[in-house]
Amino acid sequence: MDRFHFPPWVNTFTLLVIGGVLAGGAYAGGLLFFGTLPEVMYVGYQPTQPVPFSHKLHAGELKMDCRYCHYTVDQAAHAAVPATSTCGNCHNAQKTPDGALAKTVVHPDSPKLQPIRNSLATGEPVLWEKIHDLADYVYFNHAAHVNKGVGCVECHGRIDRMEVVHKAESLAMSWCLDCHRNPEPHLRPLDQITNMDWDPEETSEQSREEIGRLVREQLDVHPNTNCTTCHR
Amino acid sequence: MPEATADNQNRSPRGASPFWRSLDELQNTESFKEFVAREFPQAASEYPEGVSRRRWMQLMSASFALAGAAGCRWQTEKLAPFAYRPEGYIPGEHQFYATNIFWAGAPRHLLVTKFDERPVKIEGNPDHPGSRGAADTFTQAATLSLYDPDRATTAKLWEQNRSFNKSWDDFEQALAERLAEVGDGDGLAILTPPIDSHAFYATLDRVAERFPQAKFYQHAPLSRENELSGAEMAFGKRLRTHYRLSEAKIIAAFDADLLTGMPDSLRIAREFADHRDPDGDMNRMWAVESHFSTTGASADHRLPMKAGAIAGFLAQLRDKVKELSSGDHEHGEPIETEPTPEEFLEVMADDLVHNQGASVVVVGQGQPPEAHAIAHEINSLLGAVGKTVVYTEEPSPRVGVGTMVELMASMSDRDVDTLLILDGNPVYDTPGFAEALAEVPHTAHLSAFEDETSRLCDWFVPQTHPLEEWGDVIAWDGTVGVCQPMIAPLLDGRSVLEVLALVAGDRSPDAREIVQSALMEATSLSSERAWNKLLHDGLLADSAAEPVEASLQQTGVEPPEYVASEDRLELVFTPSSSTFDGRLANNGWLQETPDFLTKLTWDNALLVSPATAKQLGLAHEKVARLSVGEQSIEVPVYVMPGQAAGSLALALGYGRTSAGRVGGLVDAETGKSAQGIYANDLAAFWAPAPADPVGVNAYPLRPNATVGFLTDGVSVQNTGKDYLLATTQDHHAIDQLGLEAIGRRTGELIRTARKEYYEENPNFAPQMSHEVMVHVNGEHRPTDPLLPFWEYTGDDQYVGDTPPPITPAWGMSIDLTRCIGCNACMVACQAENNVPVVGKDQVAKGREMHWIRIDRYFRGRVDPDHPDDPANFENPEVAYQPIACQHCETAPCEQVCPVAATVHDSEGLNGMTYNRCIGTRYCANNCPYKVRRFNYFRYTQPLYQEANRMLQLATNPEVTVRSRGVMEKCTYCVQRISAARIKAKVTNSPLTDGSVVTACQQTCPTQAIVFGDLRDKESKVHALATSPRSYGILTELMTRPRTNFLARIRNPHPRLSRPYESELHGGHGGGHGDEGHGDGGHGDEHHEEPHDGQHTKEAANA
Repeated sequence: MDRFHFPPWVNTFTLLVIGGVLAGGAYAGGLLFFGTLPEVMYVGYQPTQPVPFSHKLHAGELKMDCRYCHYTVDQAAHAAVPATSTCGNCHNAQKTPDGALAKTVVHPDSPKLQPIRNSLATGEPVLWEKIHDLADYVYFNHAAHVNKGVGCVECHGRIDRMEVVHKAESLAMSWCLDCHRNPEPHLRPLDQITNMDWDPEETSEQSREEIGRLVREQLDVHPNTNCTTCHR
Repeated sequence: MPEATADNQNRSPRGASPFWRSLDELQNTESFKEFVAREFPQAASEYPEGVSRRRWMQLMSASFALAGAAGCRWQTEKLAPFAYRPEGYIPGEHQFYATNIFWAGAPRHLLVTKFDERPVKIEGNPDHPGSRGAADTFTQAATLSLYDPDRATTAKLWEQNRSFNKSWDDFEQALAERLAEVGDGDGLAILTPPIDSHAFYATLDRVAERFPQAKFYQHAPLSRENELSGAEMAFGKRLRTHYRLSEAKIIAAFDADLLTGMPDSLRIAREFADHRDPDGDMNRMWAVESHFSTTGASADHRLPMKAGAIAGFLAQLRDKVKELSSGDHEHGEPIETEPTPEEFLEVMADDLVHNQGASVVVVGQGQPPEAHAIAHEINSLLGAVGKTVVYTEEPSPRVGVGTMVELMASMSDRDVDTLLILDGNPVYDTPGFAEALAEVPHTAHLSAFEDETSRLCDWFVPQTHPLEEWGDVIAWDGTVGVCQPMIAPLLDGRSVLEVLALVAGDRSPDAREIVQSALMEATSLSSERAWNKLLHDGLLADSAAEPVEASLQQTGVEPPEYVASEDRLELVFTPSSSTFDGRLANNGWLQETPDFLTKLTWDNALLVSPATAKQLGLAHEKVARLSVGEQSIEVPVYVMPGQAAGSLALALGYGRTSAGRVGGLVDAETGKSAQGIYANDLAAFWAPAPADPVGVNAYPLRPNATVGFLTDGVSVQNTGKDYLLATTQDHHAIDQLGLEAIGRRTGELIRTARKEYYEENPNFAPQMSHEVMVHVNGEHRPTDPLLPFWEYTGDDQYVGDTPPPITPAWGMSIDLTRCIGCNACMVACQAENNVPVVGKDQVAKGREMHWIRIDRYFRGRVDPDHPDDPANFENPEVAYQPIACQHCETAPCEQVCPVAATVHDSEGLNGMTYNRCIGTRYCANNCPYKVRRFNYFRYTQPLYQEANRMLQLATNPEVTVRSRGVMEKCTYCVQRISAARIKAKVTNSPLTDGSVVTACQQTCPTQAIVFGDLRDKESKVHALATSPRSYGILTELMTRPRTNFLARIRNPHPRLSRPYESELHGGHGGGHGDEGHGDGGHGDEHHEEPHDGQHTKEAANA
């Protein structure tokens, strides 16, 4: 028998295989790299909450101020998730002994509000899913930002348009640093902190940056970029 | 000793310094050399002991496989808000509450930090005269005991050696039945610790009313009985003695640990330090003691003397004082040599008499009543009464109270039918109690832990931690304070007060009501409003006890006759600096805090002087058999310089067999130890280290609680067995090797001088730093740094038109004159910064994690030719130096970090970013101060184990909990800086001096540590950093440390000049003359003219 010869197409095939492996590797690498970017991994995280609370309805259409519920945002590191009793101010369906509702109540019988009624009756907390969850070695402080002209919308996005809240920004370290290095585009007057709709360029002559610069001077904003500012 | 050159005579063999840490250092043993030369004496790359290579591979491959599966998604968290928000509650904000607790045998006055309604940190109440913001080690560690997972959770009934879990209802029922049977109380005995509290007294009264025949007993293993009997002997009344060091110029302590061992030591230490100002009034401390105490270490003159000889010595002092105060006397000639006891006595008496009305003699509680009576007489001879010594009535219950000896006698006579032991552990701490207990038919024990006593009682019921209960305390000075619960009882416990109220007939005792009505009755408290103020302030203003007139009823008390021949051994019992009397044995923070003097952790040891050790054939780290009469125990020997010859000292409070998984937990039947909490090595994560008893129990040798020392029948012999003592004295020794060759260029770490020398040469300390000089073309100038110095231009990242803001330059100043080495800062730091406990095995390897350590140096006459000559170690001086990260401006650690995990921030902090650290340990190798600590293992692992979940509550949520493989170190409490900065931002106010207080500074009883902004010219730390006493250590390395030390100034008596006293400075110059420049051409030069500590000044002015 003749000696075995590789057919000529093997040359092409080998090149194709090598090219394929390289391309596949690049694809996998790219997928891994871009796929695990914080913008991809974290933005859009939208868990299901025990109660389908609609920020769009409450903050958007009813125009309730953020601080009605998240009342500690300007005093403390945490922006408190409200106690169930805050929901109960409108949705408390407790009945008086004669069977009537104790007060004017919105949606007294809604099955969606059952966890709220349970919590009010038993005193047990409603367990909400945490969406904006920073790593444990990061110490973020709401009060320090809210009192220095950083609006809610800068980090949380248009909450007033979200039926179900999702994470709007990556909250990655480089994202934090972008603003700490150049805060002016993200600053607003203190009376507009919770206003999600605020757009100065519609109403005034000044640009965002100009207003930001003014706010910065007025509030003496000088963000740190030290490691020790957030990591302890 | 022949006066060779003053210089080399007093230097340690390492050549550079007259200071030395241990006998190992003097002898330059292999183990010491290893600690100096290697940052990490045992490399982490070694396989852990007890694991074969094959097993290791198996375990690690399994770990990696699982790690891959676990790392896919971050952990989600849930938010659990209250259903109804408590008024005024802000989640995640600190709240502060003033309260008081009885803790470690004394009333403590606290300001408790609560985070989300749980106490996380204990500080002293700054408004309370007994604390002034300080808290000692025991008190700082109370939070860890509160969350101790080994605390008892349920009541138990023991019947025929079997235990049955019971509830409080069952106990109440059983108690009611029992009490119904005892009728008028005949045969009922109640044993409690001595508690000074109005509510306690009132409840005892009610119990006595219901059961007129009931007997009450009080017992504390560290008894103050001698002190009270001494007062009774002298004045006919059991009076409480207060020492007012604010009025005292001369203080003489006789076996008395004034600075850390008294119930009101915090106040005493503060007064001592406040009147020890090198630039103003400076007091003088004399100490005569058998074993080193912090007081002896801080004293200007110390005489080691057998405890049994001290009463006699006091009697001689009395005679001398009488003689000298009777007429004019001449001051004697200076004594050039080491003084004999007679000379010491004469000069001391002279000094005391010369400062009549401003001098005081103090005797420790271990000394017999006669010694106290003699001291009272001396104090009245000195005119001290009403000035430096004040007497008040000793608070005591209105019902008659018996002692432990009386109780045991009636138990043995079967006079006791029902015994309630409310708190305390007499089976452990009183020999013979267990046997006597067997004679009592009905017993019950209330305790926070199921301990040695619980196991021998019929009923066991769980007790609350003092932070969980209502109560009140009478402070040492009589001030009334309330003990308010910081948290509801976590584990279904009840307090002593509540159980007493049950006995008195209450159905469901309301402790708050009991306390409030007792205080309304006993004090000026009248309204609800005043009660609320009392709760808020933590103390009732102006309620301190009035001093009473005390007149001597008896003078000329003779000291007791001890068989005190020279060659007879004596055994002194000391309180433990870690476990107090044994009750805190299960507290890992305390067990791992090195003893003040021995620097021993996780053990007690028989202290013996080098000379005596040689004579008796004892050796360091060898087990000796110690016998007293019939009793004998085996105990490791620690050869301790400064120990009195022929005197042995042994700490009480060790050898617990039923303390818990930290302090020792041994099954009574099988004799096997349970699994411990702290892993001892990598292998221990699969098979945790056994909870063997920590140390050796010394109580069986002590006949009763009033015995401070034994002079009769003590014998000791070496068994030859080896024993590993985990002492930190040689750990992190700062390297001064090779200094002979470079002309001893680096200055001393500890700089000290006599007051007279300091007055003549105020700049002596900074002058001892030497700059590296270059000589170019006839020009002499300091050499240039390799890298440019840090520029403080404010926020370097700042962009914009407004000028950069002035950022603070944080710095610290530590006054070595004030430091008494009490370890309070170490435990405060541990609590504040979540510093893990590592266990004895890891400490022995030099892997303890404390961010701040207190280096203890000895300084004595060293015979360089015979470094092991015991005569050298008879009476060394001691100096303390707290060392934490120095926050160097040109930090060597930062330059070698490959991942920039440790970098400077704009305020000059040397920051540590844990999540960036990859654990190369280069930084620690490059740190000349040896302040970096590496997590060899996951020391925080116990926090995550299901059985120990309660421990998590003790962690500070403001600080990251570090994991394995991460470097950590002091951050200047960056979380506190951040909190202050944010507060200033939110309130739009500037950061003021004193708005940032580090944990160590906050708790320091003597205010030795000051922290602040060096750039603020008005700040306290700026003033201290620019003081002439201020110096940085190892500044020759151009590290430019932000922490400065203030030189230690001592105030010895002019007549007692120890030969090397003036040596340091002379010898220092001499060292240059004869060594550094002998062969010339070194290219470095010592400034002969004073230069003013340039590094320091620049740092301060930058």
